[in-house]
Amino acid sequence: MASPLPQVLLDGLFAGGTYALMAAGMALILGVVKVINLSHGAFFTLGAYVAYALAGRGVDSPIAAAPLAAAIAFAFGVFLGKSFVNPARSHPFALPVGTLACALLFEQAAQLIWGPHPLSIEAGAPWIGPRGLVVRRWGVLAFLSSAALLGGLKWVLTARPGLSLRLIAEDEEIAGSLGMDVEAIRYLTFGGACAMAAAAGALLSPSGAVTPTMGRAPLLLSLVVVIVAGMDSVAAIFLLSIGLGIFGNACAWFLSPQWSYVTLLAAVCLLLAARPAGIVVPAGRLD
Amino acid sequence: MSALLSAEGIVKSFGDPQVLSGISLSIAPAEPVGLFGPNGSGKTTLVNILSGLLLPDAGTVRFDGKEITRLSIDARYRLGIARTFQIPHPYPALSVREAVRVALTVNAGKRKEEGGTREDEEGPAEDLLARTGLFNQRFVPCAQLSQGCLRRLEFARGLACRPRLLVLDEIFSALSAADEGDLTALLRAANRDEGTAFLLVSHNPPLLKGLCRRILVLEEGRIVRERTV
Amino acid sequence: MRDAAPFRGGWLAAGIGLLLLFPLSSPDAFFLDVFTTGFLLAAFAASWDVIGGVSGQVTLGHALPFGAAAYACALLTSLAGWPLPLAVAAAVLLAAAVGAGIGALSAPLAGPFVALLTLALGEIAHEAAVGNTFFSGPGGYAWGGEGGIPVTLPWRDAPPFSSYYAALAFLCLAAFSMLRFSRSGAGLILRAVEGSPITAQASGVPIARYKRLAFTVGSAFAGAAGAGFVLHVGRATATDLSLELSFQAATFAAVGGRGTIVGPVVAALVLHVLFQGLSLPPSARVILYALTLLVTLRFFPRGVVGTARDLASRLGKKNGDRPPRRRGRNRAGEGTP
Repeated sequence: MASPLPQVLLDGLFAGGTYALMAAGMALILGVVKVINLSHGAFFTLGAYVAYALAGRGVDSPIAAAPLAAAIAFAFGVFLGKSFVNPARSHPFALPVGTLACALLFEQAAQLIWGPHPLSIEAGAPWIGPRGLVVRRWGVLAFLSSAALLGGLKWVLTARPGLSLRLIAEDEEIAGSLGMDVEAIRYLTFGGACAMAAAAGALLSPSGAVTPTMGRAPLLLSLVVVIVAGMDSVAAIFLLSIGLGIFGNACAWFLSPQWSYVTLLAAVCLLLAARPAGIVVPAGRLD
Repeated sequence: MSALLSAEGIVKSFGDPQVLSGISLSIAPAEPVGLFGPNGSGKTTLVNILSGLLLPDAGTVRFDGKEITRLSIDARYRLGIARTFQIPHPYPALSVREAVRVALTVNAGKRKEEGGTREDEEGPAEDLLARTGLFNQRFVPCAQLSQGCLRRLEFARGLACRPRLLVLDEIFSALSAADEGDLTALLRAANRDEGTAFLLVSHNPPLLKGLCRRILVLEEGRIVRERTV
Repeated sequence: MRDAAPFRGGWLAAGIGLLLLFPLSSPDAFFLDVFTTGFLLAAFAASWDVIGGVSGQVTLGHALPFGAAAYACALLTSLAGWPLPLAVAAAVLLAAAVGAGIGALSAPLAGPFVALLTLALGEIAHEAAVGNTFFSGPGGYAWGGEGGIPVTLPWRDAPPFSSYYAALAFLCLAAFSMLRFSRSGAGLILRAVEGSPITAQASGVPIARYKRLAFTVGSAFAGAAGAGFVLHVGRATATDLSLELSFQAATFAAVGGRGTIVGPVVAALVLHVLFQGLSLPPSARVILYALTLLVTLRFFPRGVVGTARDLASRLGKKNGDRPPRRRGRNRAGEGTP
């Protein structure tokens, strides 16, 4: 292979495009539920493990695993949203610590079930493009499905059903006074966003090792995306995720995989130091 | 007599509409001033700028001849500009006396320079609570106070730094007659006995006429009239 | 009524008496070790409470000062050859400085963003500890990474009960100092910042400075606990900086009752001894901690001590509305020392 750069760019494009699905879910939670969901990465991991378990049973296409992962994550997400996040919104302390507890709970449960060792999924032979460029089939499929789902999300948000979401994001009191069931829309959104993270995890599962803590880096990537791109534009989230995906892949390739995590952590710190006002007014605060 | 507080050319906009377009005002030492205006005229924005909660887009604020435009609200409090909130945000778990003592503790250094000792910290707290009629509730957590008591507590907190200027944002709105009577008497006493100037924001003209010597009328971000009572 | 609850000194004294008696009943060395670690973790939980409970700055990176002190202790004694007391003092100072830095960075942030920033800072430190190796001079083999760094102690094989008593003494001293701090004038202002930052600011409190103070004090105590931990375990490892450790501190504080110092100490002792004493695998332990925390947050958001005080004050009201303060001048939460 002449230069690794085209390969790094291509794989980063595929990964980033799929991360966008997860980041869009994070943005939805932040916009509608007004909560920073630190368990978002755990749902990504959940999706990857679902894909791994299915691959072991002969269903080796991540595309087939994504709907199942999304359904499982939706169920758990609705449970979490309804029984913990909604009632705990009035206690600002409970949310970051509680969602982190969920994430650690899942990480350790995954470790008990599947073990701490990295697992890998065989996802079929890749296409070989010009000049030795390897075009991974799952990568193309993951990118396309993610783009299609995001297109669908954008359409939903602009169409009638999305109106209630946008109204709640803007002003909950008005939404409530119009007879909307704000609580239900909150936990359904939470579940849907978790499903998006799990679908991204399932789609990306062949890209690397499946480990209990694999969701931490995508969680931080989503946080960076949401802090920078905000919650309004799906396209901005998509493009920024691709940029960060390529950047993370380059870090992993040219330095070491650990570096892409550390740079994301550093990016979160720098962004918060530079924009202390943050992005939204979180739940439970005065004024 | 030189002005205690003076503002010149204050401009502020949030996005498109200009909320304040070139406000200038001055308050003399110990002068009781009222600020009247309909809803949305920019009263609270002006108060926020004068008390240091907001930065103006243009213009300067001076206090005692010193420019304080960019000074934070806590630094202004320590200088002697105290501000009360229309909607109080009490410390839920602290008792009433502790809430007053927070303000007193911060200013303990200042009182020490004036010759006080740490021992008399209890004294001023009890004294303030007695003056504002909160003495019997001094051990009650702030979260359990009634609206009237919360306003009294705002007053006590404002008076704790022995302010030279009190900025009172709608402190009398929606109060019972007894609460209103007590607090107006307290305000008059502070003005008369300690020479505390105040800027009282209200949309209750009779109340303003009763308490203030001069009333500024704010409309659509400008001071349109000034009336001497 | 947090400030009005009387200090239950009697029960605490009885508990300390029992803990002093425990090693004399010739228990298993394993249980002595569990308790010794428990004392250090309890001091660590109380130091979290200074920042996250009393001052309301929810930190999820509290392992950072703990681990920084542990690593400093190990590196200074084994690589630089410093005498132990000097190394411990330097480690605590380093932890305080780290805390001041975190406080300065997080002071302008609100609510969950403090948690996010501290989490990210702690994870960076953890990754650095996992990824870096230090060379032990001419010997040439590498220290650090997953294996950690050994600490050079001036004694060999201290008898288990001496570590036990040393850790217990440290816990009592640290918890008492933090309790005094939280009930001092500075502590009162920190509780005001926790309750309503805007009102505190309008009362003349420079809140950024007080947030830095809370982080500095809490981190110094966390560093002392970290130094004690490395002396007990003999080795500083990357788990001393892990997210799980930070999370454990927050769990102890939330379960015990945030802002009470005593609550987190008791919760840390009880939960740690319970879960560690059952010899559960580490994964199962973290799961139990997470479940305990979630149940507490959902059903007793004020923690055990907070809920007990609410109940007590409600019962007190029913029994003829006794005045909340009956204890003369020595009232909890009020007196300036």
